[in-house]
Amino acid sequence: MKLSNSRLFEQGAAIFRKDFLIGLRRRASFAAMAMFALTSLAALSLATRGEILEPKILAALLWVVIFFAASAGISGTFDDEETAGTLSTLKLYAAPQAVLFGKMFFTFASLAALIIFLLPIFLVLFDCGVEEIFLLVTTIFFGAVGISSAGTLTAALTTSATVKGGLFPILLFPVTLPIFLPAIRLTEFAFAGGECGAEFLILMAIYDAILITAASILYDYLD
Amino acid sequence: MIDEIIFEDVGLSFGGREIFKSVSLKIKAGRVIGIVGQNGAGKSTFLKLAAKIIQPDTGEIKIHDEKFLSRAEILHRIAAVTPEMKIYDDLTAEENLNFFSRLRGKILTAEKIFELGGRVGLDFEIFGRERVKNFSTGMRQRLKFLILLSVDAEILLLDEPTANLDDAGKKIFLAEIKNAAQSGKTVLLATNDKLDAEACDEIIKLPII
Repeated sequence: MKLSNSRLFEQGAAIFRKDFLIGLRRRASFAAMAMFALTSLAALSLATRGEILEPKILAALLWVVIFFAASAGISGTFDDEETAGTLSTLKLYAAPQAVLFGKMFFTFASLAALIIFLLPIFLVLFDCGVEEIFLLVTTIFFGAVGISSAGTLTAALTTSATVKGGLFPILLFPVTLPIFLPAIRLTEFAFAGGECGAEFLILMAIYDAILITAASILYDYLD
Repeated sequence: MIDEIIFEDVGLSFGGREIFKSVSLKIKAGRVIGIVGQNGAGKSTFLKLAAKIIQPDTGEIKIHDEKFLSRAEILHRIAAVTPEMKIYDDLTAEENLNFFSRLRGKILTAEKIFELGGRVGLDFEIFGRERVKNFSTGMRQRLKFLILLSVDAEILLLDEPTANLDDAGKKIFLAEIKNAAQSGKTVLLATNDKLDAEACDEIIKLPII
């Protein structure tokens, strides 16, 4: 008797809601991501001293800040549960796929909230205009989906590792590199305007789909 | 409904130490089965094996309702109260209860929550909205037991479940698991407590190999 898709969805939604409630009450991972983002932005802004930077550099800076801020928050996705001893209870009561997708969706929502908080500050601090707002939003959406799915799986993989602090970004970076390269290019187009190849967006969407499918298959083997 | 768990020539080792060697037995549903033995005899491991949470090195464990069930089929029919399984400190008692029940597809009404709370001696009028981090160990144990009752699982795994309960709590607990067994559930109770052992219908004594 396999769980139906609607039961899996209900379990995933319950896990998302639970993580959201705990996230709001503890605020530790939200605070870690927000503080990292703010500190990096302040440091970069002071270093450039109001210089007008090229769109290419600005795009790269934005994604570097997003990547490291996300790393600070996502690494605890499973680790907090393992430390509290609740992960074994969760795994007993919920299907593995529901645990994965509930946590993945929560990570995506956290990352989306971070970017909504971060982006206006970035644009003001670096005096950066946006020529193609729809392109920017779409790029950030696909980028956040990719980072969330790769990040959630990597967090699950490193939960039982003894050096997880260092291991998490090292494992996450190569997996997310194929997202960053087109994302930086598309963000550059969004900042500067002009012609943009749709192939970059298609590439990101395909890679996101591969990441989600691979995470879904691989997670079953982590038990 | 699961009617039988069959161990066929089961062997298991951990870190080079043999825990079980050629164990063959049948566990019938509808009875409280006590698993007793000294520390290190493998009581907790026996529970995990019986529910297919871990796999034996040799032999086979078969769980049967109308047919033999796979590991994936069995996992969502299990509920447990064990020392290593924790509940969420940052959620209230009611949120914890609703969360785990929802995972098993049960939606609890406020009346049902109060009724279940009354059965294990946890007053939800007073403690329902309190975060679990403020609970004593005994109250957490009662809440874990309440979660176990609420999900209506077919196999109940209980590892030293009365360890932190007062006498009144122990009596309630043992009466409830008797009722659960009588309703056809498979109840496995690993314990070193004399009172717990006396409440069992059958005892499996594990030797240290």
